[in-house]
Amino acid sequence: MTTQLTLVVKRDCPTCTLLEPVYAALAASGIALDVWTQDDPAFPESVPGAFDEGLERSFRLGVEIVPTLIRREDGEETGRTWGWDRAEWERLTGLDSLGADLPPFRPGCGAKNVEPGMPEALAARFGSARLKSRRVPLAPLEDEVEAAYDRGWSDGLPVVPPTEARVLAMLDGTTRDPGEVLGLVPPNLQPCTVEKVAVNAVMAGCKPEYLPLVLAVVEAALDDAFCMHGVLATTYYIGPIVIANGPVRRAIGMNAKGNVLGQGNRANATVGRALQLVVRNVGGGKPQGVDRAALGNPGKYTFCFPEDEEGSAWPPLSESRGAGAGASAVTLFAGYGVMGVVDQDSRTPEALVETFADVFRGLENRNRRNIDAVIVVSPEHDRVFRAGGWSRGDFEAALRTALDEPGHATPKLREGGLLIVRAGGGAGMFSAILPGWAATGPVGSIPVTKEVGT
Amino acid sequence: MRNTPVLVDPTGEVEPARREPLARPDSLDGRTVALLDISKARGDVFLDRLHRRLDERGIEVKRYMKPTFARTAPIAVKQQIASEAALVVEGLAD
Amino acid sequence: MEARGVPGVGVATTEFVEAWQAQSAALGYEPPMIFVPHPIQDRTDAEIQALADAAVEEIVSRLTA
Repeated sequence: MTTQLTLVVKRDCPTCTLLEPVYAALAASGIALDVWTQDDPAFPESVPGAFDEGLERSFRLGVEIVPTLIRREDGEETGRTWGWDRAEWERLTGLDSLGADLPPFRPGCGAKNVEPGMPEALAARFGSARLKSRRVPLAPLEDEVEAAYDRGWSDGLPVVPPTEARVLAMLDGTTRDPGEVLGLVPPNLQPCTVEKVAVNAVMAGCKPEYLPLVLAVVEAALDDAFCMHGVLATTYYIGPIVIANGPVRRAIGMNAKGNVLGQGNRANATVGRALQLVVRNVGGGKPQGVDRAALGNPGKYTFCFPEDEEGSAWPPLSESRGAGAGASAVTLFAGYGVMGVVDQDSRTPEALVETFADVFRGLENRNRRNIDAVIVVSPEHDRVFRAGGWSRGDFEAALRTALDEPGHATPKLREGGLLIVRAGGGAGMFSAILPGWAATGPVGSIPVTKEVGT
Repeated sequence: MRNTPVLVDPTGEVEPARREPLARPDSLDGRTVALLDISKARGDVFLDRLHRRLDERGIEVKRYMKPTFARTAPIAVKQQIASEAALVVEGLAD
Repeated sequence: MEARGVPGVGVATTEFVEAWQAQSAALGYEPPMIFVPHPIQDRTDAEIQALADAAVEEIVSRLTA
């Protein structure tokens, strides 16, 4: 068995300079010792050291405090200590009376490789071998944002340039392996790795802490039930709509209140956009290419919002669809919007539901049947249902009854195709319908709910 | 002067080798042609007429249908066509 | 169906030329297609039958060597 000790120090740290006699004792012990100095090649003076000028060695060793002492047996690390703690150093080296004239304990100092900005820079320089994607070197005077446009990576809005440092930082947002394949992205059926999602999440403007949510969104989109290829290739208006539930909403600061379906919140905006960029870039799905939408809708840039669970008397949408209680989850719906349901008069659920039914009757055209839809119930309409003691199920049942028409065997709303969520600002007696695709249910797209991982 | 930036490719990195379509027979004599209706509205009118014209030429025709235009044909339909027909005409996408 | 060994030809309207080109470029493979004039859904039966009559010769030729 070969024992090897590795020591990382810097002159600028008083604890490191204090330990010169200890370094001399280690060198004299006969144990193999290599010493790396972070700042001054002439330090330490008692033993020869190598200069870790680019800090690559310190980065690879994961040093955070100097001095750090690492023990290896046959190349495998078996222990490490940092700062000066005589008992620890003696245990790790198997030597007695180390630094007998020194105090028994001194804290170490921050290592140079963890100074502000350094971990990111070092990760890009030395950690980028983790990344398997092809690299795209730009010309010296080429603008990074324009370069992304020129290569067809943008949805029309500027993207954040996916540098190695940004992609590596994004991957720190998940515990999952960058090489894990989430599925095949239509239309070109390209394998979608965690890494490819991270690259596109960077471009969309996501923070690393959003990545677990984005991964769940992509997994939901690639679920066969969602039929992402058809959702992309249809001539209809639709695109994926993302509805978030659970603790992740507040953890990453999503907006479920005023202007919930509109602009202005980074998490709402970028999570939905990340999915669109994955389909565009990994899958190759582009408008007027395989995306045959006649009109499309503005939600195809991004359409992602959380339910206002705290403001709702109803259980979260995700739980009504089988996700665990209290779990973070996403639901994907193939739809578009926003169709207004305006009722500033009704003071009973019975009257209010008639207004919803009235909008549904003419939705798309009067003969359309078996449609899917999301209903976003605003707080001031929620108040009416709450005062009447209506559950989500009561609302849906009453709506279906109101929509029954003689002479139509097929219902206006497909059984299982209605999602009811509660969100929005406190003032305004305005709810919304987000209609679904013409191809609903098993012949087209089925809404998919996935729990969010880590 | 700044360093030349390097970006990480966000795409599926498709660099395909060209493939050629399968070889075709010299004639349709004695071969069954599958007409696969992809279930778009009124595509059946087109295929009905095509069916009649192929009949007039003495070509054997069998009809198949995808349950929905929105998805690729179910494996069962693909297997049936592969078992029963030598050639396929798929339509009508509009 | 070509992946299953059945040579074939697709029929689409001219509206799908770009989609076909995009998919062909990505897949590195040009599935044989013939295009008839768009649209279909709002045409009369007689008009659609005329399109079929006009296309039948090309369909047969694309199915044979």
